[in-house]
Amino acid sequence: SDDPLLSLLSSATEDPNKSPKETGFHQSTRTCLERIREALLHHRWQEASEYMACYPQMLEDPTNGTAQHYKELIWRLSTEILHHHPNSKMEDYNNIYERMKNSGVRHYLMICLEHSFHLMLNGHIEDAKRQLSVAESWRHGKESASQLQTTKLIQAYRSLLDYIIWCDKKSTLSDDHNQDMHNYFRQASVNLKEILRNPGVWDPFILSYVEMLEFYEDHSQALQILNDYAYDSNFPPNPNAHVYLYQYLKRHDCPDKKMSKGALKMLHLLVPSHELMLEYSSFLLQSEKPDIQKAFGVILEMLDFACWRDNLDVWKILPFLEDWKNAVSELMAVRKDWWPALHFTTFHASRDSAENPELMEVKASLTKILCPGRTQRFISQHFDKNKDMVLKKK
Amino acid sequence: MDEEVTAWYTEPCAQCSAVAWGVSDEGRFYCRSCHNVIERTREVVDPTVTPGSSRISTIGRGSRTKRSERGRLWMVCEGFQFILKNQADALLRLGVQTQFKDQVLCELWRLYLQKSDQAFTHTPVWSSQFKLKRPGSDSESGAASTYMTSETDGEMNLPSTAGSNAESYSDWSVFSGSVDATSYLSTQLKRGCGLMSMKKTLALIHIALTWSREPLTLSDLLRLVKEGHVPYVNAHEELPEEMKLEGKDSLIFRVESVPSHRAVHQEALKLILLLKLPAFPPISRQSLLHPALLSLRYLTDANLPDDLHPWLCRLMEHADMADQTLHTLDPSSHSVLPRYDVQTAALVIVTMKLVFGLDDHTEWDLSNEAGDQDDSGSVFSLRRWFRLLQAALIRAQDRRDRDLARKQWRSKKPLHMNRKEKYVMTKKRRIAEQLQLCFEKLSSRPTAAEPGSPSSFRFYWGGEDGADGPSMHHMKLGGAVTMKNDVLTPSNPTYWHPALKPCISRNCRSHYSEVEPTLPRTFIWLLKLFSFLLDVTPGYLYDEVLSVERRVFSDKSPLRRKTRTRAQTRTRARPGKPQRARETR
Repeated sequence: SDDPLLSLLSSATEDPNKSPKETGFHQSTRTCLERIREALLHHRWQEASEYMACYPQMLEDPTNGTAQHYKELIWRLSTEILHHHPNSKMEDYNNIYERMKNSGVRHYLMICLEHSFHLMLNGHIEDAKRQLSVAESWRHGKESASQLQTTKLIQAYRSLLDYIIWCDKKSTLSDDHNQDMHNYFRQASVNLKEILRNPGVWDPFILSYVEMLEFYEDHSQALQILNDYAYDSNFPPNPNAHVYLYQYLKRHDCPDKKMSKGALKMLHLLVPSHELMLEYSSFLLQSEKPDIQKAFGVILEMLDFACWRDNLDVWKILPFLEDWKNAVSELMAVRKDWWPALHFTTFHASRDSAENPELMEVKASLTKILCPGRTQRFISQHFDKNKDMVLKKK
Repeated sequence: MDEEVTAWYTEPCAQCSAVAWGVSDEGRFYCRSCHNVIERTREVVDPTVTPGSSRISTIGRGSRTKRSERGRLWMVCEGFQFILKNQADALLRLGVQTQFKDQVLCELWRLYLQKSDQAFTHTPVWSSQFKLKRPGSDSESGAASTYMTSETDGEMNLPSTAGSNAESYSDWSVFSGSVDATSYLSTQLKRGCGLMSMKKTLALIHIALTWSREPLTLSDLLRLVKEGHVPYVNAHEELPEEMKLEGKDSLIFRVESVPSHRAVHQEALKLILLLKLPAFPPISRQSLLHPALLSLRYLTDANLPDDLHPWLCRLMEHADMADQTLHTLDPSSHSVLPRYDVQTAALVIVTMKLVFGLDDHTEWDLSNEAGDQDDSGSVFSLRRWFRLLQAALIRAQDRRDRDLARKQWRSKKPLHMNRKEKYVMTKKRRIAEQLQLCFEKLSSRPTAAEPGSPSSFRFYWGGEDGADGPSMHHMKLGGAVTMKNDVLTPSNPTYWHPALKPCISRNCRSHYSEVEPTLPRTFIWLLKLFSFLLDVTPGYLYDEVLSVERRVFSDKSPLRRKTRTRAQTRTRARPGKPQRARETR
């Protein structure tokens, strides 16, 4: 399973060491672990903590080989219990994290990271940052690949914390804070720049970096990293990257529309149902040579998704497209089996008439073009309803 | 006055380079010329000591403290002697008679020392090795051999060794607190073991208890050990301060388990051979170890009616098991140390089979009849009994598991093989303690289960609060027994048993696990009940039940006079393949 705690627990309680030759000590610790597990699964937190008090003797197991495995188990079990026990305090967390960190080298970095997350989530930003700074400079023996990875994460989060502190300082802007603020920016940017060179999904990190760069008006740098983030083929495809780039360009009224359009184009390929597709279609229509066919295609692809079904803004664009009848047949041919059922059933007709009459009007006007076969039933419903309303008015 | 304290310290001051130290009120050293205070402090001096005496001049060198840390010389058997003494004292506190310790155990211990050539002999094992072990030390051999051959007097006085100049052991391979741990261990491997071990202490105690005819069976003893009333796990903590345990001593004195009934019994057999004991004091019918009386205890504990006891006694007679010679160990006649507890429990089970059938049908039919016929509630119904006991058993098993889960095994004075292990383990110990404290505080509950007051009984039956259930001891057997030819016999006419012929091969252990699925569930449950009471495995008890049944149905047995025709049995008994059989009249 994904949850490391559950997989650790299941492998520990199915320990092949449980043989008839098991020592009394192992029998005790195994029974204790089983009871902790039962208590956890049934959400009996008080009971779990009582047994957890008896379990740490497992760390002193003289058969050393098993100790490593159990350090991680104890770390994760303890934090799980602390998460849920009503009386747990911050100092308990700090205690456990500090102890388990110093219990061995294999988990040191991960525990540091988790500890600082916990501090972060509870608002102790300075403490969280301190933890990560200590961890950043920690080295032990040969650096394994996983250590390197975790160290990178630690550096990234440390920078994120610097950014958060920078934000705090910014909000209380005064002269003596300026230099301080700038320091944080510098500290953060060094690492953030580094981290953004690694392929990955770094959304919150890049946003914070860009925000800081904007504040210091370093537009070229901001644009550079946003571009790299969006277009570097080593990075996994990330629609947000294009969104960020586009939004940045829009914020700064970038004259070069090509870049904006390019970003939206990429976004369209990745997420055709994105709300920015409305803006993309405007782009397509506003250029010197409006690409009506393309725009129509974009809108249609939006309407392929049920989330836009009742959206008037999207539907309203369609009637204003001129000379689009050529495009229609081609694109609708692909969709003729399922599109009408999505939008033009009698059910839709009655519901739209009742709840969204304006939408009904627009759709009714388009029926003939989009769904020739349906016209009769769909519109007659509409006209019938209309007739009733007209009659009522009278 | 300060000069006396600071005269030997000639480091120049870091600030002004003068060598003029004084001692401040708080005991810290300070430079007289620039008043710079440094870290070094005066050692706390015994206020009764007069200033100017030679003692003060050695402050800071630390040799005195080191000497008392090293303790005195001691040998492994001394350690065991202390442990046995502590175990015996614990038993005396629990009500065992004093002659168990002073007369019996003490004598057995001396006998053991003699037979294992550790003492009371002209050829002690260790004296030459003792000399060799101590390179560069004063010759201790004179003192050592005096110790070896001297007669000690009546009490368990520890023969003391001369002097206490403990030297540092430069050779870490023989690193141990005791003098002879290494040779002890290597001899243990070689001789196939007459030498005392932690497990053997229990065996020796068991032998002494049996000799003293104390009503404490082996399973009682082991239960007391598990519950912490008799020192065993971490017994080394109670050794005197001066006996330092280090290094290889950990291999001898550290235990990770309480041994099983079978294991201790085996050790006892070996010890009896080593010690060449004469015949034991006889266990007569009046003795509490004899099945006649011991069975009363088990019947009570299991909430069975007292009326079953006469049946058990009759069965004993028929199986030729009442005689005291069966229950008295006489090594010269090759009899084996009896397992009183297991044997008696087996007798109870066989009695119940006799009366109630326990074949998954008869007992329930009898219960139905009892239910139908009896309105007063004075007739014993197995069904009612089963429900009651099952509930109590589940609760008791849960409690035992809980106590097991909470049991703390690590010693307050941990033993380590070497310095490195000590360093690593001390660090782990600190972490473990911190974690434990954290969760103890969180759950507001201490870890160790409070040791309950020791009791001979696992269950309590009666009307008061806290009882496991109502008592059924007074109930009558009712329809389960009838008069036939003026003799009271069980109404149930049949008795089933698996093939009883013992396996030929000596390596054949128990067939319980193969046979268990074929046996009636009630019977298996009863095995589990009694194996819980005695804390043995069901298979172990099952083998004893078989051996009791062998006696009952042997050719010599007067049971043959009854109309049970074993010859007509339909079983085809093959060794190693027990089958169920039904004997009919």
